[in-house]
Amino acid sequence: MAATLTGSNTKLRDDLIRLLGTERVMDSTLERHLYAKDAGVYIGNPTVVVMIETTEEVAQVVRAARHHGVPIVARGAGTGLSAGAVPEVGGVVLVTTRMNRIEEIDAENHTAWVGPGVINLDLSRATTPFGMHFAPDPSSQSACTVGGNIACNSGGPHCLSEGSTVNHILALEVVTDTGDVMIVGGGAPDPIGLDLRGILVGSEGTLGIVTRALVKLTPNPPDVRTMAVAFPDIEDAAATVSGIIAAGLIPAALEMMDQLMMQAIENWLHAGLPVEAGALLLAEVTGVTEAVEAEAEIITRIAHGNNALSVQVAVSPQEREILWKSRKSAFGAVAQAAPDYYLHDTVVPRTRLVEAMRQVYEIGQRYQITMMNVFHAGDGNLHPLMAFDASEPGRLDEVKAAADELVEICVEKGGVLSGEHGIGIEKRHLMPLLFTEMDLDAQARVKEAFDAGGVFNPGKVLPEGSRCFDFGRPVPEGAWV
Amino acid sequence: MNTRFSAIPSADISADRAIPPAEVVLAPTTLEEASQALRIATEQRMKVLIWGGGNHQGYGHRVHPDMVLITTSLNRIEVWEPEDLTIVAEAGTRISQLEEMLAEKRQTTLLPNPSPTGTIGGALAAGLSSYKRFRYGPSRDRVLETKVVTGDGRIVRSGGRVVKNVTGYDIPRLMVGALGRMGLIGSVCLKLIPTPAAAVTVEVDDPAVALATLYRPLAVLSTPSGHSAFLWGTQAEVESQAGRLGGEVLSGHAWPPMPSRPVAWSLRLPPSQLSEGLERLPEGWDYVAQQGVGITECTADQVEIGAAKELRGWAESVGGALVLTNGPETLYERIDPWGTPPAGLDYQRKLVAGFDPYRVLNSGRLPGGI
Repeated sequence: MAATLTGSNTKLRDDLIRLLGTERVMDSTLERHLYAKDAGVYIGNPTVVVMIETTEEVAQVVRAARHHGVPIVARGAGTGLSAGAVPEVGGVVLVTTRMNRIEEIDAENHTAWVGPGVINLDLSRATTPFGMHFAPDPSSQSACTVGGNIACNSGGPHCLSEGSTVNHILALEVVTDTGDVMIVGGGAPDPIGLDLRGILVGSEGTLGIVTRALVKLTPNPPDVRTMAVAFPDIEDAAATVSGIIAAGLIPAALEMMDQLMMQAIENWLHAGLPVEAGALLLAEVTGVTEAVEAEAEIITRIAHGNNALSVQVAVSPQEREILWKSRKSAFGAVAQAAPDYYLHDTVVPRTRLVEAMRQVYEIGQRYQITMMNVFHAGDGNLHPLMAFDASEPGRLDEVKAAADELVEICVEKGGVLSGEHGIGIEKRHLMPLLFTEMDLDAQARVKEAFDAGGVFNPGKVLPEGSRCFDFGRPVPEGAWV
Repeated sequence: MNTRFSAIPSADISADRAIPPAEVVLAPTTLEEASQALRIATEQRMKVLIWGGGNHQGYGHRVHPDMVLITTSLNRIEVWEPEDLTIVAEAGTRISQLEEMLAEKRQTTLLPNPSPTGTIGGALAAGLSSYKRFRYGPSRDRVLETKVVTGDGRIVRSGGRVVKNVTGYDIPRLMVGALGRMGLIGSVCLKLIPTPAAAVTVEVDDPAVALATLYRPLAVLSTPSGHSAFLWGTQAEVESQAGRLGGEVLSGHAWPPMPSRPVAWSLRLPPSQLSEGLERLPEGWDYVAQQGVGITECTADQVEIGAAKELRGWAESVGGALVLTNGPETLYERIDPWGTPPAGLDYQRKLVAGFDPYRVLNSGRLPGGI
């Protein structure tokens, strides 16, 4: 759409060059192509790409873009999977990866001020000497940025016990639609007024642009047990998950993978996974030694009660690391199955896991798509991975149709569209599965409150026409706006 | 119009504060009834005050209502899924009643439960968390879904009934601490926490040592009479942790009572400033301080405007706040209950306008008179 630099777009580019210099304003075909997509399957069309280094620059770019009537799509490392950072209707792609300074680590308050471009794992590495880490740990943590985590309210295996990103963000510096800078939230608990920080996290860059964040750091546990439990099938593994939760335990992580996924990982990583088993459960418990020993024992007992084939407890840090590496590199291992993959993200109440998985495989069979599964079983967060060849005509459309069916079955079971990837472009058309027109209208009012002019990441999260309830009517007399 | 609504059971009305005089007092029994009431209020441009157990009415600027909506007849427990660790309940449900039920399966909402009349909606609207937040985080982290009635009577559901969810804007979180300005909280889905087997309280000399020694204790509290660490977990775990501290160990959790006195303040500071905050408390203030969290709840017999302003000035200078949470009505005319309003008031105002276009619902209560 707004792909070619003509008319006002040329003027916008000239303005951006005046602000940032030629090196940080990119608009060649190749450069625009590089920033046209995230890690998912949707492709956009940037008008121009800018590399940002300071808050003031973000503010100036917002003002310039507004002046020229061009939208802004903020982007971190581009590891998102829901097309949240894909510039669907053109616009300025504002890249924050250079805002990667860890400004201050406050060991006493267990907090740090960081730029949005800081890589997730770098933050945990930098805070290791203080005995702390940043709890959200998406599989992409060695590449994804804190800004991206904030935009998507990212999770990861350990959000079973620690919660998603929003639980770990205390304050945000934000550039608003007017190009002003505000800090919401704070280092003291329960800041007064509405929780703007809470609504900004997970808003996928549609309400403002985060330029700094005060993150909460979590103390590293004194002891840990990581266990790999093999089962004949997914049902037994899922029954074990239910049994663990019912026993009153909330482990640090409870991850599951099916046989196909195990085989793919094992071929690539040689981690010693039990590839003959139907399912593998990775369970991790953290805490003081007495606690982790007792909890590991309970988990082992429940696993044996559910036909476990083997229970392997990682003894050394190296053994633990290889287990986690196999979990977190799963998606890289898929390339051997097919040239392309579509990684899905839906949630069901954890008690409905088994029936949901059965239907996942059934959908795979019907569409003749290889379904591989590695997911956050403890949260009921499914990640069916559909391996396919996008060069086959019509194949991507079939995969997308299968993906929609997956969401539908999860919603039927009381689930939701996304647990940690976000809605972006990928799932906005499915929002009416979960919400009424009135519910969506309320969400559209949130967007309107922050960005009535639609400068930030237009078209994401909500389907078109969501703001419907006073459509066509003038604002009533006496209304407080 | 009140014939459509149930009469108010007087036992449900807290003696803590009297319901202010109003033309109409209604106790809707369903969200649809609450919606009708708020539609009428919007048409008539009436000022509406929401009233649950009456325990947190001291928060925020005063509202002089034409209509009072009592929520305690919205008290159905809709779904409890013990194996999912979630519960859906109407917001007028008493926390004490809910907790009693959850205890049967050793689960808890972790909501603060100091008064038998406190409701889920009241605690959430006031943004309150229990002392256990040091270990488990604030209440807002466990609100998974909300159904609210907006000022103009729309019933809006947001979030979902699963423990992990990024489907649309996190409106449930916005409801927590909004004091009803974003809508009357009708029902909520809450994430539950399993209650561990063993609980002990350990008296400690130095809270800083306790914080440094223990791995994520449930709470470390200070009062004028001393400091205690609160532990939770397996028997072996709490014994080992308690052993490291060396103080007197009591079985169970001996939570300190908050003396009921006419004036109450909440001092909120970055955790590292808490000790200095305690030193700066005016003489005669009782307190329970949450070490590692940064909150000190205070009560006093006297209204000391000058001393409070001085403490507030310092608290705000270190990034905190001193919030008036209870006191005689006249006190609210002499001191702003919130102090300096936060950044982003324009956006707060616009958010509220989207949910309550005619300013009928608890209007003016938030910082900045929003």
